[in-house]
Amino acid sequence: MEPKSDATGRADAAIALRRRRWVALRRSLTEGGGFVFLMLLPALFVVGAVIGVPMLRAVEMSFNTINFRRPAMAGTYGFHNYGKLFEDPDTWSAVALSAIYMFGTVVGSVALALCAALLTRRIVRFRAFWRVVFLLPWTVPAVVTALVWGVMYDGNFGIINRLLDYVPFMTGANWLIDRQTAFPALIVAQIWNEFPVAYIFILAGLHAIPEELYEAARIDRARAIQQFWYITVPQLRFILAVVVVLLMIMGFKSFPIIYILTGGGPAGATETLTVLTFNTAFRGLDFSYAATLGILALAISVILVLSYLRLVARLQHERGGQ
Amino acid sequence: MSWSPGPVRGHWSALARVILLCVLGMAVLFPIYWMLVIAITPTGFSRSLPGILPQTVTFENFVSLFTERPMARWLVNSIIVAALASFLSLVFGTSCGYVLSKMKFRGAGLVMIGVLVTQMMPGTSIIVPLYILFRDLGLLDTMSGMVVGHISLVVPIAIWMSKGFFDRIPQDLEASARIDGCTRLGAYLYVSLPLAVPGLAAIFIYGFVTSWHDFLFAHSLVHSQQLWTAANGISSFRGQYFTLHELQMAAALVFALPVIIVFIVMQRWIVSGAMTGSVR
Repeated sequence: MEPKSDATGRADAAIALRRRRWVALRRSLTEGGGFVFLMLLPALFVVGAVIGVPMLRAVEMSFNTINFRRPAMAGTYGFHNYGKLFEDPDTWSAVALSAIYMFGTVVGSVALALCAALLTRRIVRFRAFWRVVFLLPWTVPAVVTALVWGVMYDGNFGIINRLLDYVPFMTGANWLIDRQTAFPALIVAQIWNEFPVAYIFILAGLHAIPEELYEAARIDRARAIQQFWYITVPQLRFILAVVVVLLMIMGFKSFPIIYILTGGGPAGATETLTVLTFNTAFRGLDFSYAATLGILALAISVILVLSYLRLVARLQHERGGQ
Repeated sequence: MSWSPGPVRGHWSALARVILLCVLGMAVLFPIYWMLVIAITPTGFSRSLPGILPQTVTFENFVSLFTERPMARWLVNSIIVAALASFLSLVFGTSCGYVLSKMKFRGAGLVMIGVLVTQMMPGTSIIVPLYILFRDLGLLDTMSGMVVGHISLVVPIAIWMSKGFFDRIPQDLEASARIDGCTRLGAYLYVSLPLAVPGLAAIFIYGFVTSWHDFLFAHSLVHSQQLWTAANGISSFRGQYFTLHELQMAAALVFALPVIIVFIVMQRWIVSGAMTGSVR
């Protein structure tokens, strides 16, 4: 009898232990650390599968030699792609073009958005109408932006050249074919497409400025331009900083407008880093070097994103302090 | 909302302001207007338009788009891919946004930065390895491959935006549910998730539009013309019918119009949603 009851006792203890473990597991999954894990799992799985695995593959490719023009070279590992990254002048010309593109689109978009926001901020009638007007280009797909501006820029029949005929001392150009004009023309199209993002932020920032500041300035008989420099600009500076970094990221990412309008030409004059990456892979068929360029672009994006986050944190801190 | 009239220096200043606003507005709207004008001009006549007003109105460009070119097919492909990619991203991303918003855990900052980087890096960084992976897996030139590619675009948006929406749901609501004996999971499923439904709808639309607008993935991952999405289809018009401006603009208009209309109808909603997505 004794051993049997001991066995039952042990069995009971084992069952109780298992039940306790099960309860603890269930508790963890619905309440504690297990819950966080459970909730993160689907997203981590998907992001890992569609972004993580490709990124790891990109690292592998960047040391490998996957060039469809030289299939026999596959499996040759080394640092040659990174060596090429630093030696090839095309790479650094592409990085420089990306930087110019970012700078040009940021300056143009912020200037345009600031004008539009300052003009519409105190509008009483048709507020929603004007907001839609200045946000509308944002809803136009980049592909469509490219097609429309391509038609307008057309050297022979484009509306821009035809309108320029009426302007004294101005002559038309073959906007997208001429080396001198192609890149600025692309920047203008990009500005048109993305300035609404700056507009939303700046308008929100303007509405957040306490009206009393302006009232006080008016009592002191400050001129409109003084109000702008001494109230609007300082009050907006963090929003502007955030907008600038956000627009830099958008300009850096930009692909369809450049690719569809010029494909990087004429003779590489508009080949930014994104377009160079694409052309290296799908025209040059050197996927390994393209992956290396992609990693360079990723590193630049990480820097941009980190500075964006710092700025946003400072913005929230600043607002909390007020 | 009411705004004080501001520093009006007489009527002239106000008038100058209105004129400036109208000029700026017209300049900004001009490309859209011009797309419309050329799209309704008979083929070949846009080059001889005397001014900036349409002369003869025709719909033949649209008819030819749907009868002679596979525009309908491309639009259907776009709808299928966008709906699937957006829906799946929502399903997979929302719970992640929830824990990022409501719970403190080690590595949360890292997850958030990772999500933001994947959202903000250039698509060309990922398309090169993705192309090689898809080639190995036999996913090149398939609709499912395109859906997978677009999920990589939309999931970070879904995570980031849903975090923003959950941030706005007060903690007290969940706390009271928890006092009544609800588990964390229960509080999420029965309290927060139902409250976030309008936000989830906004994320679905935003994800749908992101996928609808995508050109890079559509252009790289699929070759067969009958599998193209509309973004890729209409971009091919610039290469094929370089001088047929009327056809290009008709296609561009058909492609852009649904999103423009949705935006105008729901602009208030979308603007606030996009702001929470990117500011917070």
